[in-house]
Amino acid sequence: MDILKKIFIALGSMDRRFIFLLVGFSVLLPKLYPDFFTLPIKASSHSERVFAEIDALENGAKVLVSFEYGPSTKPEIHPSAIALLNHLFSKDIKVYAVALWPDGNFMATEAFSAVAEKYGKQYGKDYVNLGYKPGGEAVVKGLASDIRTMYTVDLLGNELDEIIVMENVKNLLDFDFIFSLSAGYPGSKEWVQFACDPLGIPMSTGCTSIQVTDIIPYVENDQIKGILSGMPGAAEYEQLVRNTLSLRGIDVNPGKASINMAAQSMAHIVIVMLIILGNITYYLTRKSTKKGGVK
Amino acid sequence: MFLKRQMPTIIAISVGLFILFGHFINYEPIQHFVDNDATQWFDIIASFAIFLGALNMLKLQVLKVAKKQKNWQYSILAILGFAFAIFAGFFFRGANYVNLTEIDPDKVTQLITHISTIQDIKDPLLMKKSINSSLADYEIPKIFISRSNANHFAGLVSGLATDVTVGSKPWGAHVQIEGSLFSWMFFKVFTPLSSTMFALLAFFVASASYRAFRIRNFEATLLLVAGIILMIGRVPVGELIPWWVVSTLIVFGFGALIAPLIMDKKILFGIIFCGFFASIGLGIIFDWSLAVNTPEILSITNISEWIFDYPTAAGSRAIMIGIALGIIATSFRIILGIEKPF
Amino acid sequence: MNNKLLLIGIVSFIIIFVYWLGYGLLFVEGNSATFIGIILVSSTIFFYIDAARSGKEIYLRPIAGLKAIEEAVGRATEMGKSVLFVPGISDMDQVDTVAGINILGHVAEITAKYETDLNVPTCRAIVMESARESCRESYLRAGRPDLYYDDIVHYISDDQFAYAAGVNGVMIREKPAACFYQGKFYAESLLLAETGNSIGAIQIAGTGSASQIPFFVTACDYTLIGEEFFAASAYLSNKPELIGSIKGQDIVKFMVIVIMITVFVFDTVRQMGLLDFNILTFLGLN
Repeated sequence: MDILKKIFIALGSMDRRFIFLLVGFSVLLPKLYPDFFTLPIKASSHSERVFAEIDALENGAKVLVSFEYGPSTKPEIHPSAIALLNHLFSKDIKVYAVALWPDGNFMATEAFSAVAEKYGKQYGKDYVNLGYKPGGEAVVKGLASDIRTMYTVDLLGNELDEIIVMENVKNLLDFDFIFSLSAGYPGSKEWVQFACDPLGIPMSTGCTSIQVTDIIPYVENDQIKGILSGMPGAAEYEQLVRNTLSLRGIDVNPGKASINMAAQSMAHIVIVMLIILGNITYYLTRKSTKKGGVK
Repeated sequence: MFLKRQMPTIIAISVGLFILFGHFINYEPIQHFVDNDATQWFDIIASFAIFLGALNMLKLQVLKVAKKQKNWQYSILAILGFAFAIFAGFFFRGANYVNLTEIDPDKVTQLITHISTIQDIKDPLLMKKSINSSLADYEIPKIFISRSNANHFAGLVSGLATDVTVGSKPWGAHVQIEGSLFSWMFFKVFTPLSSTMFALLAFFVASASYRAFRIRNFEATLLLVAGIILMIGRVPVGELIPWWVVSTLIVFGFGALIAPLIMDKKILFGIIFCGFFASIGLGIIFDWSLAVNTPEILSITNISEWIFDYPTAAGSRAIMIGIALGIIATSFRIILGIEKPF
Repeated sequence: MNNKLLLIGIVSFIIIFVYWLGYGLLFVEGNSATFIGIILVSSTIFFYIDAARSGKEIYLRPIAGLKAIEEAVGRATEMGKSVLFVPGISDMDQVDTVAGINILGHVAEITAKYETDLNVPTCRAIVMESARESCRESYLRAGRPDLYYDDIVHYISDDQFAYAAGVNGVMIREKPAACFYQGKFYAESLLLAETGNSIGAIQIAGTGSASQIPFFVTACDYTLIGEEFFAASAYLSNKPELIGSIKGQDIVKFMVIVIMITVFVFDTVRQMGLLDFNILTFLGLN
């Protein structure tokens, strides 16, 4: 019993580098042996809501997708972007991309090049990338009044009036839906506060797990119609899109978020185990200190 | 002295009041200034101010190298990285393209073969369709960083169309376009570095949780329990936890709550064991092993969703309101000139 | 004081009356609730600022994190190490950054007094300039302008993680004994706090970013949560007008709570079918 206690106390005060190694292995093993670590993904009510809202859009609808994330948050949000574009393009929906972050340009370009060709979508006819504009909420307010005050050319330098898909699109009221892929400021909050809520345009968001606590009050108030929370949310949405599109005869590859969920699950389990271990050690250490002190 | 002390205060007060009340004035030029121009003024100032920051950073790194201070070798990397980014953004476009005019329809397959030597073609049939629909004017879907590579490729395909030209994407677009030198730097250097820094968070969360999540008092225990439920509930593993594990945890948790109130430990253990057997018994009787029969409270995923939707949202709202009031009061102090951070 | 209250009330009433007269013509429609809210909040805060200036004693509960600032700088002085101050990653257009620079002013005054080295890496060039002005003023106020030099405040990078990497590097190499994180933070908050913890520094954090507060609470010794962060400059300066504004802010919060409870009660009663009056429509919230 004493030996067991000593082992626990020793484990409880282990160097943080061992903790890093454990976490590292817990993420690496599912990546090396993916077949051994397959886990079923069940969609949450928030992800289902997002899916339902997008699926309810009619063919030919216009959706504005705003890219507000960069390379650091790409693993969490980019899978949502890919799944979203798969969903939108499968329904012949016109997609208009903007970016409130400079990095968002690159993310948007990468997302479109990964998805558009598969559905035979042509740039300028089926989708357009307007690019990044500095100014945060000022850009959102500008788009709400008149897109052409903010953008005169698209990302590639083409005049807006020469782009087919920009015909009859004057401001945000011409869009049927707005989707914000957001990792911070400016992001989903600015879209809600300055565009979607005042103008009554429905909106959803895919954001990092850390940001969910900031956004959830808007979701609860129905100002944002559902939320894809970080990588788990992206994996759930990927699953929903993949299942639905396969029923419609469209083959979609398993997304990166779904593939990485096993690794995330293992990492979470390891962290929980470490917390429990730490508490056992804390309890044992406190008990032996009390025994040694005055009763 | 006036310029350093009174002038900034006058500017802060007048602009602050103008922006605040301009929001309510029914006059289009003022509305436009408040909604658009004011924030754009700030962006323009901030953009020029970047020069100050960049020069400061460069100065410190160069001095470190010149004086061979401790770890001066890392400063060389910083200077080189800075120089490369400036070069790729401002001096070297690195975004050359090849354009074919009047492609010979019989030579489309040959063209595709040539293109396959410089980039992966996911769907050759789709590419053939795309070329056939733009025989009059077709741009090779590959950006060449160096002009010589573009010229070399143009030479290879020169016999396949009436006219083959090599061009360069305009300044500005060269930063965004996939395949350019700047884009290469962004995706091959900056992206892995940023992702690595963000990935460190996973390790740091583990070590912080391990160190900080202790059952010291009621609040710390609540934090610990909520944290564990959310960590398990948010990942697919949470779905695999059976109902009887959750019911056992609930019974033991209830026991922990009432433990300080019950002096006799035998009574306490009796209550816990009765609760445990009752929950298992109910589960067997009502067949909770079937997903449709399982009460929502016995699913970690549902509990974590409930925590997100109610306590988290409520706490988040309260903090947001508090922070908003703090921002209002601080802004009020700055606008009235009571507080001068500048 | 009752005369002052009457005067403030009359002025507020006149402003609202003028707004009502010009509503739709001079003033934009649809913003009345916001306008009245601004007048109410402003007059409340202004009343208490004036009351504090007139000598009224205002009690503020002690905040452990603020009391620990001088202790932290003292610890750094005793150990012969520097103090690191991180003013967040946002620009001066965020109020959090402004509040952080205010706190920097106080910390700089203490480091000037104790002759401790101060290091302020910034993420934005404008913040760098503001921080320099603030530090220069503080060192002058402390009577030690000779100790100040511009490179105390230096720029690292605009990019979030490049900045975090740079600050972490500073922490690992220079091993400051006290680290202050005061401003707007995002995902890099835990990176900074954990690195500071690993070098054994005393850490005091404060931010208006609600999502980062849990990370700071977990990893730092003291954390200023929510409004405590914005009230910090008032606490540290002890100026009556600033303390008065905190009291005004608290009264406004009390008013917000009363309104929330009132709306909740009225709307619940209406939803139960016991009342026709819709308070949400009345307040323009529907």
